[in-house]
Amino acid sequence: MEKFLIANTLSYPILSMIMIVPVIGALITLFLKNDTVLKAWGFIVTVVTMVISFPLYSAFDSSTPKYQFAELRTWFPSVNLDYVVGVDGISVLLVLLTTFVMPLCILCSWNYIKVRMKEFIFVTLLMEAAMIGVFVSLNTVLFYIFWEGMLVPMYLLIAVWGGARRDYASIKFFLYTFVGSIFLLVAVIALYVTTGTFFIPALMEHSYSMTYQLLVFLSFALSFAIKMPVYPLHTWLPAAHVEAPTAGSVILASILLKMGGYGFLRFCLPLAPNATMVCIPYMIAISVVSIIIGGYLALGQTDIKKLIAYSSVAHMGFVTLGIFLLSSTGIKGAMLQMINHGITTGALFICVGIIYERTHSREIKDNSALGMQMPIYVTFLAIFSLSSFGFPGTNSFVSEFMVLIAAFAKYPLVGAASIIGAIMAAAYMLRLLQKMIWADSDGHAHHAGHGDAHGEGHAAEHHLFDLNLREIGTLGFLMFFVFWVGFNPKPLLNMMGSSVDHLLQQVETGVQKGSLDKVSQVVRVKTEGR
Amino acid sequence: MKTIMITSGIFLHPATWFIVGALLLPLAKKLNLQKALLIAIPVMAFIQIYALPENFGTVHYLGFDLIFGHKDKLTFVFLHVFTLMAIIGCIYGLKVEETEQHIAAFLYVAGSLGVTLAGDYLTIFIFWELMAFASTFLVLFRKKKRSTEAGFRYLLVHVAGGLILLAGIFLRYQNVHDLTFHRILVEGATVADYLILVGFALNAAVPPIHAWLPDAYPEATVAGAVFMCAFTTKTAVYVLARAFPGFEVLMWAGAIMTLYGAGYATIENDGRRILAYHIISQVGYMVCAVGIGTEMAINGACAHAYAHILYKALLFMGVGSVLQMTGKSRLSELGGLYKYMPISLILTVIGGISISGFPLTSGFVSKSMIVEAAGQHHQLAVMLMLLGAAVGTFLSVGLKLPYFIWYGGRQSDFEAQDPPWNMQLGMAIAAFMCIFIGCNPDYLYNMLPFPVDYKPYFGYHVSESLQMFAFTGLGFYLLIKKLTPKRHPVMDAIRAPLTAAPNVHHPTGPLINLDFDWFYRKGARVFMWIANNPLNALNEFVSNVYQNIGCRMTMAIAKASSWFDWNGIDGAIDGSARGVVALGDKTRMHVTGNLQHYIGGSVAGVFVILAIVIFT
Repeated sequence: MEKFLIANTLSYPILSMIMIVPVIGALITLFLKNDTVLKAWGFIVTVVTMVISFPLYSAFDSSTPKYQFAELRTWFPSVNLDYVVGVDGISVLLVLLTTFVMPLCILCSWNYIKVRMKEFIFVTLLMEAAMIGVFVSLNTVLFYIFWEGMLVPMYLLIAVWGGARRDYASIKFFLYTFVGSIFLLVAVIALYVTTGTFFIPALMEHSYSMTYQLLVFLSFALSFAIKMPVYPLHTWLPAAHVEAPTAGSVILASILLKMGGYGFLRFCLPLAPNATMVCIPYMIAISVVSIIIGGYLALGQTDIKKLIAYSSVAHMGFVTLGIFLLSSTGIKGAMLQMINHGITTGALFICVGIIYERTHSREIKDNSALGMQMPIYVTFLAIFSLSSFGFPGTNSFVSEFMVLIAAFAKYPLVGAASIIGAIMAAAYMLRLLQKMIWADSDGHAHHAGHGDAHGEGHAAEHHLFDLNLREIGTLGFLMFFVFWVGFNPKPLLNMMGSSVDHLLQQVETGVQKGSLDKVSQVVRVKTEGR
Repeated sequence: MKTIMITSGIFLHPATWFIVGALLLPLAKKLNLQKALLIAIPVMAFIQIYALPENFGTVHYLGFDLIFGHKDKLTFVFLHVFTLMAIIGCIYGLKVEETEQHIAAFLYVAGSLGVTLAGDYLTIFIFWELMAFASTFLVLFRKKKRSTEAGFRYLLVHVAGGLILLAGIFLRYQNVHDLTFHRILVEGATVADYLILVGFALNAAVPPIHAWLPDAYPEATVAGAVFMCAFTTKTAVYVLARAFPGFEVLMWAGAIMTLYGAGYATIENDGRRILAYHIISQVGYMVCAVGIGTEMAINGACAHAYAHILYKALLFMGVGSVLQMTGKSRLSELGGLYKYMPISLILTVIGGISISGFPLTSGFVSKSMIVEAAGQHHQLAVMLMLLGAAVGTFLSVGLKLPYFIWYGGRQSDFEAQDPPWNMQLGMAIAAFMCIFIGCNPDYLYNMLPFPVDYKPYFGYHVSESLQMFAFTGLGFYLLIKKLTPKRHPVMDAIRAPLTAAPNVHHPTGPLINLDFDWFYRKGARVFMWIANNPLNALNEFVSNVYQNIGCRMTMAIAKASSWFDWNGIDGAIDGSARGVVALGDKTRMHVTGNLQHYIGGSVAGVFVILAIVIFT
């Protein structure tokens, strides 16, 4: 175990704490009554979790690919199942992303959620624990438990507090993801049967036959591809994003989508390296298709949230592309793109939520000419839109640039095609900005007033209030990260460095081992004593 | 006169004084110190030039050596007159309130000084362009429609000239890989050197690229024209003198210039335009001298430049005063001012006789050096041309200009008075210098680059000048009717008719003199036609391609993807969901709750399974 793990040396079991604190907080909400108290309590719990998780950044050792802050407790010795958690360069940033984004989710729901506040806070806090669990678990069973455990709170978030078509969207989301998870379960069990262990690093040490690898890869990949999402398995995303409340959209976009990328990096690449090599052309093809068609789809939307949802498809296409280019720059770019997408798209959804609270419409034509009345808001909107299409100086520029460099280094045509996608990102975001900030070409400002649904209106009648302090704080916090990562990505890239190199090493050795053996490795099947 | 060398060891490039001054002027205006700054800066720069070392201010930039300070005697004489002129000009323009005019003037002078001190071509180019842009504003700040148009043409011409110069610099760098500014020999002159020559010549207003000068100078501001007449052309003379002495083409070009300018000056109507054409004539002397290239010729060019700046500025100041006090500058509209503006008259006449080369004035001691140099170089034709131009000079500027402005044989119906004290002081200083140099030529001769062994006051020379004056005066008197400036019949009808003496002849006829600027104006029209019609059509085509093929196709694909997403993919998925629901519905029918149905169904099922097992 020590071969893979570096035990936690902090004064508290940090990883378990950041999972338990939200759970305890959730349990306590069951006893609270007042809405404001509940909201405040939710905010406090998430902030406490964020503060507790900060040592993950400050005390992280960038020089080793081993799993750090690790905790190991025996759980079911008979089936060799332990409670083991740890973070390495690949997962630590995603955990930090989760803990930092959750307080913002609570903040942006302050006025948005009107009913069942207690259940909302409860579900959100449980969701946080489950998401962190996904990223830190080093045990396939634990991973599966948390993976499934995310689905129900998300379903509830959409189904209870969502928009008009929430029933359709929530069920679609649940079933779509669940179908993928079934195959995930099959793969987990199969791996246990062949190797006798659930421990992920130990699983990586084994080598498997080509057919076996292919099956494992495809099972995992289906689930993660649905989660990413890649085209054509993406149709749950627009529905879920549009119908979810703002907090739900932010959680979905910022964190849930990253689990797909994380899964590819944690499971598909190291466990099935030969299968990866075989599937690279297809995966790259799908990712380029995602980028380009995601761009086209976003261009044709009139609903702002749908537009951003489809832009997520395109951005995650860059992530998949970066991962399957199998170069250091590519994978680091993909991982940084995940973080940046979490920050930027989360911010964009918060912006949409803010304007929806005022105009009660998500259509672009009902939210135009905002610049005159809400200058602070449109400033934030513009900054996050610039970041979304990778404007230099913002965070996404760094990550997209790294992925594009890796793409051009290996397959120039792929790089060229991705550039088209990047151009389209600029096209639809700028079009959105233009229509939202400035008046229509006929000179009228169109926005729906409070409570009324008709589109035409004079700006003087419907006065939209600019951002209040809470909203400025939320968006400002994210804007800080946009520019911090944009101008200074080195700390984050350093944190990923050794884990990425180790991963590439694993793939390399796996490929060599696979090609050296002409005869497939003997697969040890435990047929007795299960 | 002993020159006082201030060897303080601390020095600044004189242009820096003016640039700093330009930056400080708005602040000074706020603090009511504008006038003080206007005097202080040129005076500081004038004192500064005595303290400059031989070589200073070499900066390495992008692999090139920019030499900001290269001083020798040739440089010094020009620096001396430029800074002196800056003092006079600032005094003349002291009462101008608009700070922007002063800023433009300061930057203009800074550019000129920068070129004069430059040791390499890149530095020249930088300050050359600074001069061009700053002087454009001196034209534009008059804020009349004609000034705006003239300023625009001026800028275009100078930018074009700058580009020709830059092309020459680039080619020269490619040829010799050296950009230091020094003499170019005629034998080794390449296309690059001739391009540089053309670039310099444009600023020196050598025909045919001279039309900007009479186009823009009459339209400049009153004080601005005083600056403009001094710096651009003389800076060009300086660079020509340093780089191209001895190029014969310059000698002929200069000689033709003198006659060209004097000829147009004689037939012009606007006072400042007469003076502007006359600049061409006088600069022609200098260019001719540069072309001759001997030591005496270069001396003559420098001396003439020195003297010319002073008396041309004096003339511009005089006519500018008239313009300032009466609002008019056209000879046909003026006259009879001798009663009202006597001091301007006296000072302008001093300028007029100075420019003509009357003994005891600066023109006498400088212009003749050039003629003498031409003679020593055995260029008889050139000598005669230069002498002929002197006749034209006296005729146009010495006689016609003052006569028709201050006398003109008719009474004008407007009151005027002498200009404010600062303008008179400026004129007085310039007039004083003209006479001082004329009476004490050694002051000037000691500054000249080469040792001078020329004595201007000798018998033949004096008598020749006096003869020329006498006969020109006679000719003027005889031809006065032909020379009377023509009046505009329509404008006369508009304005109240002047109380004219009945027997004064009012000639009418063609009123515009065509010069080379005809080519600019027609050419501009052709260019605009090309831009508006063929090029515009091309632009429309490309824009339409973007709109039709680019945007529409992209949006069509976007809508199609959206449709496929919604109906195709989701259709399949929702369809499968609906299928499952439908299947469930059907299956639900079988749950009847009736035990017999269940038993019957199970038995049937067993039979089916048995059949399968037995028969396969």
